[in-house]
Amino acid sequence: MLALGKEVAIGSVDKELRLLWEQDKASTNASLINLAVYSEEDGAILKNSELVQEITREHACRAILIGIDRDDPEASIRAWITAHCHLSHGRKSVCCEQIAFQLTGRATGRLRNTVFAHLNSDLPLVFWWQGELSSIFSERLYSLIDRFVFDSSQWSEPAESFKCIEKALQDAGELMPMDMEWTRSYPVRLAVAGLYDDPLAKKALEHTSSIRITVHPGHRMAGLQLLAWVIQRTGWKPSMDLGLNTANNDQYYFETHEGSDVMAVVETDPSAAPVAGLEILSPHCKVSVTHEADSPYLHQLLEVGCHRIERSTPAASDDSAELFMDHLSRGGKNSLYRMMMPTFLGFLGVNEEEI
Amino acid sequence: MNNPFRKDLVSRSQPEACTVVIFGATGDLTHRKLIPALYNLQVEGALPAGVKIVGFARREKTDEEFRSGLEEINRKVSRSGHDDEIWTAFAQNIHYHQSEFQDGDGYKKLAERLDEIDQDRGGKGHRLFYIASAPSFFDDVLEQLKNAGLNECKEGCWSRVIVEKPFGTDLPSAQHLNEVVNRTFQEKDTYRIDHYLGKETAQNIMVLRFANAIFEPLWNNNYIDHIQITCAENLGMEGGRGGYYDKAGALRDMVQNHLLQLLSLVAMEPPTDLSADGVRDEKVKVLRSLRQWDTPELVAENVVRAQYTEGHVDGEKRVGYREEDRVDPESTTEAYVALRVMIDTWRWSGVPFFVRMGKQLPKKATEISVHFKEPPTVLFNALSGGVPGGNVLVIRIQPDEGISLRMVSKIPGARLRLEPVKMDFHYSTSFGKGSPEAYERLLLDSMAGDATLFARRDEVEEAWKFIDHIEHAWHESDTPPPVAEYVAGTWGPKEADDLLAEDGRKWRRL
Ligand SMILES: NC(=O)c1ccc[n+]([C@@H]2O[C@H](COP(=O)([O-])OP(=O)(O)OC[C@H]3O[C@@H](n4cnc5c(N)ncnc54)[C@H](OP(=O)(O)O)[C@@H]3O)[C@@H](O)[C@H]2O)c1
Repeated sequence: MLALGKEVAIGSVDKELRLLWEQDKASTNASLINLAVYSEEDGAILKNSELVQEITREHACRAILIGIDRDDPEASIRAWITAHCHLSHGRKSVCCEQIAFQLTGRATGRLRNTVFAHLNSDLPLVFWWQGELSSIFSERLYSLIDRFVFDSSQWSEPAESFKCIEKALQDAGELMPMDMEWTRSYPVRLAVAGLYDDPLAKKALEHTSSIRITVHPGHRMAGLQLLAWVIQRTGWKPSMDLGLNTANNDQYYFETHEGSDVMAVVETDPSAAPVAGLEILSPHCKVSVTHEADSPYLHQLLEVGCHRIERSTPAASDDSAELFMDHLSRGGKNSLYRMMMPTFLGFLGVNEEEI
Repeated sequence: MNNPFRKDLVSRSQPEACTVVIFGATGDLTHRKLIPALYNLQVEGALPAGVKIVGFARREKTDEEFRSGLEEINRKVSRSGHDDEIWTAFAQNIHYHQSEFQDGDGYKKLAERLDEIDQDRGGKGHRLFYIASAPSFFDDVLEQLKNAGLNECKEGCWSRVIVEKPFGTDLPSAQHLNEVVNRTFQEKDTYRIDHYLGKETAQNIMVLRFANAIFEPLWNNNYIDHIQITCAENLGMEGGRGGYYDKAGALRDMVQNHLLQLLSLVAMEPPTDLSADGVRDEKVKVLRSLRQWDTPELVAENVVRAQYTEGHVDGEKRVGYREEDRVDPESTTEAYVALRVMIDTWRWSGVPFFVRMGKQLPKKATEISVHFKEPPTVLFNALSGGVPGGNVLVIRIQPDEGISLRMVSKIPGARLRLEPVKMDFHYSTSFGKGSPEAYERLLLDSMAGDATLFARRDEVEEAWKFIDHIEHAWHESDTPPPVAEYVAGTWGPKEADDLLAEDGRKWRRL
């Protein structure tokens, strides 16, 4: 546990942090958010300490790492403190504090009382939940959080977990959700928006006949969210019963405002990048955005008659620290995600009344 | 129809695909600022697909030669670095058009070329003309654009023009330019660049003032003693700049545009909305309320001009202004200017704004400092040393963008001793990612039809009106106020210190 810094008694975390700063007069302590990273996986706090080291390069924060082993019959708690320092613009050394907690046993109450006693007051709390949602994710926890970050690609029962998220959003009106799957599709959405800036593409949109989205099997959620986004943005209506599932494909039918029938499919390919492609076809227009596995670029293509645009832009990294930083630097209330949600939940077969 | 996918995705403004025609495309501005800005917008995914760039200049060049020249500089200066694959796709959309600015045929050929590009887009296209040439060519370029019918656009499309600084050299020339521009393009399609307005911190002035409840109630003559705006440069006339500068001077080059724009943002009333005209209406009211220094005596009382003499900056020897390359040895052009500016409005009555700009000062820094009045000190009068100065709020524009607030605090100990302390916020410390370049934001805004961060005709003319009185007193009166001197590497002439000392004030030490 050396990488976590100095082990300290729970009661003296604040005092020890102060000492840490007193030893190093040359550094600046910076913090814009409280960042809690939570995991129930064995050994996760060490890995997360490395992630935080990366994140603090761009986002000054007070980091609180939480590792929990809930199956351990004995209740215990240990804490470590350290600082992540970087040279800012080659000049000043800017440091961010990190407190790591390792808990065992039933922990809901202790989590709230001990861990959250160490937040930097007045700064927002970004809570990054890794892995499956558990019973710890309850009203008592989420009522404290400003921004809740999760990765739905890690869920074994997404429909159930999304219900929990929706319930949390209803209970805690201020809570801002952020799904890493949604962040993964951001460069593709941006590229599609860019291509439809073209007047000819815009004109062809209402005559769309098919949409094909390709994702890695582990990222079906990203594919469905991308489709939900297209449908919500265009305002197209379902034209037949939703969810005509073929073998392992999600296939749906819509109708555009001009009456064109659209067949949409989210297909998976084990050799593909997480969000590997989106293609929108109409009789005279093809819009496609593709990401080859391992390529750092997205290839964008627009073809309308002999008018053709091709360009490359950076693709999303699949490094979770980078995805997380991308999301933080865009900030905002994630309203687009909230707008896309009802359509997406429809694809998952979640009925709003169930929530 | 709007692009449904753009909405809510990134920024509030929705840029539209267009052909950007740059006049003076082999020049420094295009290579060092415009193309890197467009490239970085592409990297960020913010540049609409289908944007074409046509460079217009005099020398013979093929598309390939033009692109490789741009690439060479982009490699050196691009904010996000240079990626060959992204560049290659980006550069496919860059073309070169050789012509003289005065040659009517060249514009006809340009029109044909633009039509071809539009054909490829289905017959219609938006056009953005960027005049990145010396101001002496503005007339020619605009007239010729009109003769070739390029100012008009097809139905449903727009044609806009971006004009670089300097916008005129005095009020009559600015009015003339405005007339020429407005004969060719409507005011709503005219975008006058002031790249200071594209800087993050300049944009942040409005946020700081109007999104924080603690400042606005104090933002008036009841609480503010005075405001200082400083733009310090630690360079002189390197790179042949003397030729241009000696004709312009600090007042025209920096104060008329950038510093008066900053002053307007600091002093304006809250706009009714954030629309381009909402904001610019309020800014122009400030410029209209500037008290005019319209006699040589008033100029002498309120404005100090100066030149540097030989000295040292950053440990290096620097020659005096009159010894600089391409500067007239008998020049009276100011390389430094300090002004007392009064704004005759209810809010600012009696509050002086001190504005200074100088070359060969000890360091490079642009900032605005708001000096609050001192609180009644009866409580602490008996203390040795009294109360050390009032509160100062500093908005640093460059470098090291940030905000700081000076407060008075008790020094720990049994005795009551007071010292100033500073709360300091640095963008670079808190936001690790660099800010976008001003030109990125401005180009995108012009493609989106958002003119908020561009100067409007009346703003430019009001600013010149104020500046012209001073220039007139300096260069045309029988009793011109003197030109002061300062040693290169010092903070300006003694006369500038006296300007503040008269009322018991001091320049902030940077
Ligand atoms: N450079 C900057 O960083 C900067 C910053 C702010 C504002 N500005 C303003 O931007 C404008 C341009 O500055 P710059 O530094 O880019 O100027 P520059 O390097 O001198 O470039 C001038 C350009 O104009 C072209 N040109 C000159 N006479 C011509 C003619 N008769 N016909 C056709 N083309 C002609 C030149 O083409 P050839 O090379 O082919 O002759 C060249 O492309 C100026 O108004 C300047 O004040 C510049």
